[in-house]
Amino acid sequence: MSSRAPLGADLVIPALGLGFAAYFFVDIAELGWEAKANGVLIGTALVVLIAVQLARMALQLARGEGSLRADPLWRPPEATRKRLGMVALSAGFIAALPWLGLTLALWLAMLLALLIMGVRKRATLVWLPLALAAAVFLLFIVVLESDFPHGPIEKLLS
Amino acid sequence: MSWQFLLDQFAAQFGLWWIIWPAILLGIVIGILPGFSPQNTLIMLLPLTLAMPVEQAFTFMVSLYCANHLSGGIPAILVRIPGSGGAAATTLDGYPMTQKGQAQQALVLSFVASVAGGLITTLATLALLPWLSQIGLVLRSVEMVVVMLFGLTLIAVIAAKDTLKALIAGFFGLLIGVIGTDHIYNAPRATFGFLELYDGVPLVAALIGLFAVSEALVMIEEKLIVSEEGLARASGSQWAETVEGLRISLQKWWHIVWTSFVGLFIGIVPGAGASIAAFVAYQQSRLWSKHPELYGTGIPEGVIAPEAANNGVTSGSLVPMLALGVPGGTTSAVMMIVLQYHGMVMGPRLFQTDPGLAYGVFVAMAVAYIFMIFTILPLARYMARIVLIETTYLAPIIILITIVAAFSERQYLFDMGLALLFGIIGYIAHKTNYHVTAMLIGIILGPLFEQYLVRALRISEGDLTVLFSSTLGNVLWGLLALSLVLPYLRKAKSQPAANGR
Repeated sequence: MSSRAPLGADLVIPALGLGFAAYFFVDIAELGWEAKANGVLIGTALVVLIAVQLARMALQLARGEGSLRADPLWRPPEATRKRLGMVALSAGFIAALPWLGLTLALWLAMLLALLIMGVRKRATLVWLPLALAAAVFLLFIVVLESDFPHGPIEKLLS
Repeated sequence: MSWQFLLDQFAAQFGLWWIIWPAILLGIVIGILPGFSPQNTLIMLLPLTLAMPVEQAFTFMVSLYCANHLSGGIPAILVRIPGSGGAAATTLDGYPMTQKGQAQQALVLSFVASVAGGLITTLATLALLPWLSQIGLVLRSVEMVVVMLFGLTLIAVIAAKDTLKALIAGFFGLLIGVIGTDHIYNAPRATFGFLELYDGVPLVAALIGLFAVSEALVMIEEKLIVSEEGLARASGSQWAETVEGLRISLQKWWHIVWTSFVGLFIGIVPGAGASIAAFVAYQQSRLWSKHPELYGTGIPEGVIAPEAANNGVTSGSLVPMLALGVPGGTTSAVMMIVLQYHGMVMGPRLFQTDPGLAYGVFVAMAVAYIFMIFTILPLARYMARIVLIETTYLAPIIILITIVAAFSERQYLFDMGLALLFGIIGYIAHKTNYHVTAMLIGIILGPLFEQYLVRALRISEGDLTVLFSSTLGNVLWGLLALSLVLPYLRKAKSQPAANGR
């Protein structure tokens, strides 16, 4: 493993910042000065700070102290698989909510999450998703009467 | 205000224990859960508080508010997820203490600092109310702009390993905070075409994503939150740990006192809030410490300072509401609505027309803090056990529950997706040392910063030099520049000495 600083990973946030600032400037171009003064000031300051950071990184690269590796973002590999699985599962959970309702979607999501995390004990796979879904149903649907989408479970118990 | 009047007020408040206790328990629960803000809970409970007699209503609201401020530190210490923005600074030393197996001790320090800080500043407010109410009037829009930039800079300088990266994160947060319609023309800006962003970025979704989701994604790498040596200590923790926490708190009593006053003074400034107060107190605590290098490694002072200040804010934020009729934050705005519904007119005359209410609010606060310490202290030992749960179970529970909680602020599914997006951004920031706390504080301050900046610029007809037109503002600019330069000067000074050795 190289001892040089992995500067590729360090570029992600500045790239996001620059991209967002550019979009902001384009989006507010036609507005009155009161509506864009704040965004222009903050955006300019952000661009200047990012420019300084990029210059600093370029200097590190020139001195041979850094490389464009970005591996800290996906290390260790076994954790990355779980991490990507959890992100995909969360996105799927949000997408499935309108059809399955909160209780059923959460039960299913928790069950799949435990499997992704490597849990294989049958008892845990049964009681933990069930307990979590029941607790959330009681708190959000029964007590707080939140506007979560209602699915088969909520309709059955209403 | 006579002693007899005060004694009568205290007696009356102790008689309302049947309201205080449920409010405290509710406040603790909502403080622990990110996404459940006291203002939203108070809004949901409006039918209840509007139906109550006014004295009972404000006792209930104030108790819930104080308990919420206290318990925001619990998840901050145990799993590095602040229950509210005010507890963000508590993660800096609270979580490292947990990793060392000192979670129980850190919780006790946090509870004692919160209660003592809240109690001391409440009693001080009672005595100094007429004078304190003037502080909010000294700071105008120009000074507020500098105060906010100063707050953000302090976070970058003190809390981060890399000041430049933290400043980038902070300004990125500030720019995200500008998303939404502007105050003058109501024109949407940088909303990516989403109607849900017209009101700005929802703070709960940002908080949940940047702290809870990102932290859960990071913790997957380890089997447990605690280190191996910390595990032995955490699993064998006894009541002695609670006693030790109490002993350290008593030893550091002066630290609690002065940092709570930092919170009180910042709380009086409308809009400044607990998040800035906690960071300023943390920074001051480190500045005056004999061992500043230990901050961030898990030391008691790093927990005491933000928690005492965070609770010092509670009484401070009610001062402008009662004395000037200007609510210091959203929670006090909700309280003001309830009190006005009952026919109370806030402002300087309140102290003549209804002293029982004006001073009674602070007496209720003091009594709530007394009840709180006896309620929460015995629970520290059991709460600390959460760190023994394996991340295999903890990470999915945190991710799914907090994403569900993101829905609670505005009841939009969109906010759940936004929390996930902020979680990914937070994870990248975590891994590359771009400070997520600075980013969150930027998002919180964004709308307020714009409000004050545009006000100042409108008064000066767009002339930017207005930002350097006030003496107090210029002093603050000077301090801001000094706080940026000082660490480099210190480093430069210490380097030749180190080289010489």
